[in-house]
Amino acid sequence: MSTRLLSASAPFILTVLVFLALAIALFIGLGQPPLQTLAALVQFAVGDSYSLSQTLAKTGPILLCALAAAVPGRLGLISVGAEGQLHAGAIAGTAIVLLAPTWPAPVLLPLMLLCAAAGGALYGYVPGLLRARLDVNETIVTLLMNYVSVLLVAALVFGPWRDPASQGWPATMQFPPAAVLPALPGSRIHLGLLLGVIAALALHVYFNHSRWADKVRILAGNRKVGETFGLSFGFWVIVLMSVGGALAGLAGISEVSAIQGRLQQSISLGYGLTGFLVSWLSRHQPLIILPVSLCVGGLVAGSDALQMFAKVPAASAVILQGLLFAAALAVPGLLARWRNAS
Amino acid sequence: MSTELIAILASWGIATLRSATPLIFATLGETLVQRVGIINLGTEGEMLLGACVGFAVGVATGNPWLGLTAGALAGATLSLLHAGLVLGAGANQIGSGLAVWMIALGATSYVGRTLVGQQVTPLPALGTDWTDGIPIIGEVLSQMTLAAPLALLAVIFAAWWLNQTRPGLHWKAVGESALVAAENGIRPTRVRVTAIMVGGLLAGFGGAILSVDYTQTWAQEMTKGRGLVAVGLVIVARWKPALVLPVCLLFGLTEVATLRLQSAGFELSPHLLGTAPYLVVLAVLVASHIFARRASAMPADLKAVFQ
Repeated sequence: MSTRLLSASAPFILTVLVFLALAIALFIGLGQPPLQTLAALVQFAVGDSYSLSQTLAKTGPILLCALAAAVPGRLGLISVGAEGQLHAGAIAGTAIVLLAPTWPAPVLLPLMLLCAAAGGALYGYVPGLLRARLDVNETIVTLLMNYVSVLLVAALVFGPWRDPASQGWPATMQFPPAAVLPALPGSRIHLGLLLGVIAALALHVYFNHSRWADKVRILAGNRKVGETFGLSFGFWVIVLMSVGGALAGLAGISEVSAIQGRLQQSISLGYGLTGFLVSWLSRHQPLIILPVSLCVGGLVAGSDALQMFAKVPAASAVILQGLLFAAALAVPGLLARWRNAS
Repeated sequence: MSTELIAILASWGIATLRSATPLIFATLGETLVQRVGIINLGTEGEMLLGACVGFAVGVATGNPWLGLTAGALAGATLSLLHAGLVLGAGANQIGSGLAVWMIALGATSYVGRTLVGQQVTPLPALGTDWTDGIPIIGEVLSQMTLAAPLALLAVIFAAWWLNQTRPGLHWKAVGESALVAAENGIRPTRVRVTAIMVGGLLAGFGGAILSVDYTQTWAQEMTKGRGLVAVGLVIVARWKPALVLPVCLLFGLTEVATLRLQSAGFELSPHLLGTAPYLVVLAVLVASHIFARRASAMPADLKAVFQ
């Protein structure tokens, strides 16, 4: 065990420790026995096969949304638009199912995924185009566009897409079996998760072993240098924002098809922002995003179950994510400061 | 012009002003923060916390002014987290703002559970028995509270302070270059912490006005991106406090128009109409990039954050 390895992993270990300390402080603040609550959180995340299945069900959309932030992130773009792209993908994917509900699964399923990816991609293309052509800040545009597509989903399920048979509940009709993503029997582990894993592996290969990836790396390092080599920053902004959007769109239709069985409001538990957090923690590295998605998926699923069985509020999941984010932002800088001082 | 038309215009004007007031405070705060070279997406969280704490204190004490004060202080306190992460730990400003937002989102949805459906004592209307008899003016005053005039005063004061006073000059100098400012005896970190806190104070106050004065209810995530809208509108207002007023009024006008279309029985989904304020903000943001040269107005130290 060399000291070099130790010092390289110090920020990570310290971040986890600071986060645990903050989580304990939160549970004390909520009047819960901190260590038992923490143990129960882990138990509810990975304790048995049911918990694990819940955790994996949350991991799928978080993973795809994290990749949606990571792809533009490789160019130094800060896209916080996965939530909106997820909803756009859900709308586009649902549209084809409502249009052709009787088509057989081998046709309908791929078409549905393709439409969802296209819907998400379009929703990433717009901020990408604005950034590329007019230099409009992509962070602000994606954040504002999130509210628009969430409202569009509401407008559709309260309006033209509402199923009259649903007795006033704002939702589309139940998806036909041909439009439901295959899942492992008796679990909520569905094709969406597999797509996310494949995408992560593919992106890893792409980002590390392709000629295009070198172009992105050069442009991300120094835009002016890249452009003197004849690389187009704007082109890559548009491409990467669209690809990111497509991945989040897949997360959207997966939730609709495999988890909810129909389009309705609240298809996302804030997966967009959670995915952004995961991508940030993983420094936009697809191979690191995989395990981190699983951990944060466990955190979300675990605190979801905690509120049902213990008196821990549902909101603690969001607070814990915020604290994790704050810890990850604070630790490296403070550590560097402390090292410089000593 | 007929009295009727004036009355209609006055009613739209007041409604627009009231809808824009929370946003004016938040955008003004964010403008001051960005003028010292810091971007704070946590404005959304600070507004939300201000709305929640302000409403809670307003309900508990029965005094709306105490609620507004508490909301402002809550916003300023939360903004210290952003200041600590960005200035203390050198963290990425966008990331830090989002962390602040997440924490506020979770905390307010927990604290706010008991506030749903509660009644708050609103701010008193400006009209008195004495003014009620005056046509139009009496009507206007009876529909207004002190919140909107306060927002106008805040804008005027901030514009004067930033451009005409020595500390204001220091703030602008820090935003242009912290290094040069430090060489001239200004302490940039101190200025930036102060600005972030003033921004938090104004965002919290704006949030509290939203819940205590404007909607007079608490709902989870009730700011609905107003704090993020504020960050976008700062760019449209070209980092000038005086321009905060017209751009926020445009947002207010859009919101009032959508609300009035709905109550007029207009056959369009309220959710679809609800997208209009965001689309208008996006449209003016894009238009401002097409028609105005941004680089000249943007504080130089802020450019590094945006790259």
